[in-house]
Amino acid sequence: MAAYQLLIIGGGLSGIAAGIRAARFGLKTLILEQHNLPGGLNSYYFRQGRLLETGLHAMTNFAPAGAKQAPLNRLFRQLRLSRKQFEVHEQLGSEIRFAGRSLLFTNNIKVLEESIAAEFPGAIDRFRLLRQAIAAYNPFASAPWRSARSFLSGHLRHPLLADMLLLPLMIYGNAEEHDMDLGQFVIMFRAIFEEGFFRPGATMREFLDLLVQQFHEFGGELRYRCPVAAVETDGDRVVGVRLSSGERLTADTVLSTAGMPETMRLAGWEGDQTQYVGRMSFMETISFVPRATMASLAPDRTIIFYHHGPRLAYQRPDDLIDPTWGVICFPGNFSGLSPEDSAQIRVTNAASYLLWKGLAAGAYGVAKEQWSRAAIAASEEIIGNYCASIVYQDSFTPVTIERFTRKAQGAVYGSAIKVRDGATPWGNLFIAGTDQGYLGIVGAMLSGITIVNQHVLR
Amino acid sequence: MSREEIKDVLLEIIADIDEEADFASLDTDAPLRDQLDLDSMDFLDIVMELRKRYKLQIPEEEYPQLATLTSCIDYLEPKLQTV
Repeated sequence: MAAYQLLIIGGGLSGIAAGIRAARFGLKTLILEQHNLPGGLNSYYFRQGRLLETGLHAMTNFAPAGAKQAPLNRLFRQLRLSRKQFEVHEQLGSEIRFAGRSLLFTNNIKVLEESIAAEFPGAIDRFRLLRQAIAAYNPFASAPWRSARSFLSGHLRHPLLADMLLLPLMIYGNAEEHDMDLGQFVIMFRAIFEEGFFRPGATMREFLDLLVQQFHEFGGELRYRCPVAAVETDGDRVVGVRLSSGERLTADTVLSTAGMPETMRLAGWEGDQTQYVGRMSFMETISFVPRATMASLAPDRTIIFYHHGPRLAYQRPDDLIDPTWGVICFPGNFSGLSPEDSAQIRVTNAASYLLWKGLAAGAYGVAKEQWSRAAIAASEEIIGNYCASIVYQDSFTPVTIERFTRKAQGAVYGSAIKVRDGATPWGNLFIAGTDQGYLGIVGAMLSGITIVNQHVLR
Repeated sequence: MSREEIKDVLLEIIADIDEEADFASLDTDAPLRDQLDLDSMDFLDIVMELRKRYKLQIPEEEYPQLATLTSCIDYLEPKLQTV
């Protein structure tokens, strides 16, 4: 008999959610995490006594507690967590600034509609029809790839408005360059524009603690600092894993959340790994400024998506980063949060993994400093100057992301090719998380849940 | 288990799954899913919980017999006779 009924590689959101499902129904479950903290792409770290979050700008898919069919509330029921007791803070309002034009949106889509009516009066009727078409589309039915761009241009006949709507949806959840699968577009449109942004109370640490505690409550085991070195196979079955320490663990079923390329490597899976390596990664520049400085910058904005050029070029940049477009997020600007002494400004820009990876150790530090300054300067053009007031600043690159999460080339949204059913050539090895399909915090957790429901519990 | 006991167990399982569940106006002969606004994932949880508690294997083709509270009790009564 195997030591575990389910062994999960990776203690990120998809792994923990999968673990909660399995443990809840009595399966002997172990999660193996290489890092000393949970969370994967959405984790946290400490610098000079400050807690810094990694992935999370905001959670998407906001829904009030009573809306039973909303993805957020389905998620809570599946994890058997109380939605009523879960503290949420909705966004104040976000903005898309694109080549001198501006659109506002909140968790009430009427605000976006009014904003489009004011900025592009000729397009508002078409936008309303677009919303109807999106509401009628089932993104979960299996369908061949369809271009979101053609869908948008067909409905809107307005390239600038189409680009402006695509900007936040791509930055927050598109693995492919230039275009987006229509199904993914519909999921993201609903998650961001129809439902909206919120934050849990406190930080990512408390949210992860809640999940890990629930996993332990159901009898699950979680081991940190346990990198998996190989998935061990025997014919068409996997038998368990070997850790970097040499320790071997056997399992009836193994679920990998390390992404396709890494899973292929671990299992010795013959095939072209490169097709599963995503090209989109990002550099994140985090600055702390005094509360008074923050108040003068963008007191009523939660997230600003900005783009200077005339046409959206969502792609891996030719330079280390591309500061001409990106996201500026103010994690303190959600409703009902008590103000802190210092406030954070987070700037995210597309970055080239290969160029960062190619730098020598000394040059890497210099480049990080130089490009952080460029990212801050680009954001100052949008929100005003704050560089001189920064009390603490840190940044991370695609190389950092890869090291801590094993996501090949730091591709936070994984590959453009998704393995929807989570299946592998081995009957008892499955994939969950970014490369299975759903993205974002809510999406990652639903991925873990879905794969366990389909393949492990039935 | 008596029919009354089975009913109590089912309501307890549903209440655990859904903190919003309201049984006050529940029609025992109308589909549970529609009345409680549950989805197929919630429904699977009822089946899983029964399996965990009573080692009951309910094949997927028999799920339709669990549509209403009364049909659930009818279906479970012979299976839980000795519990």
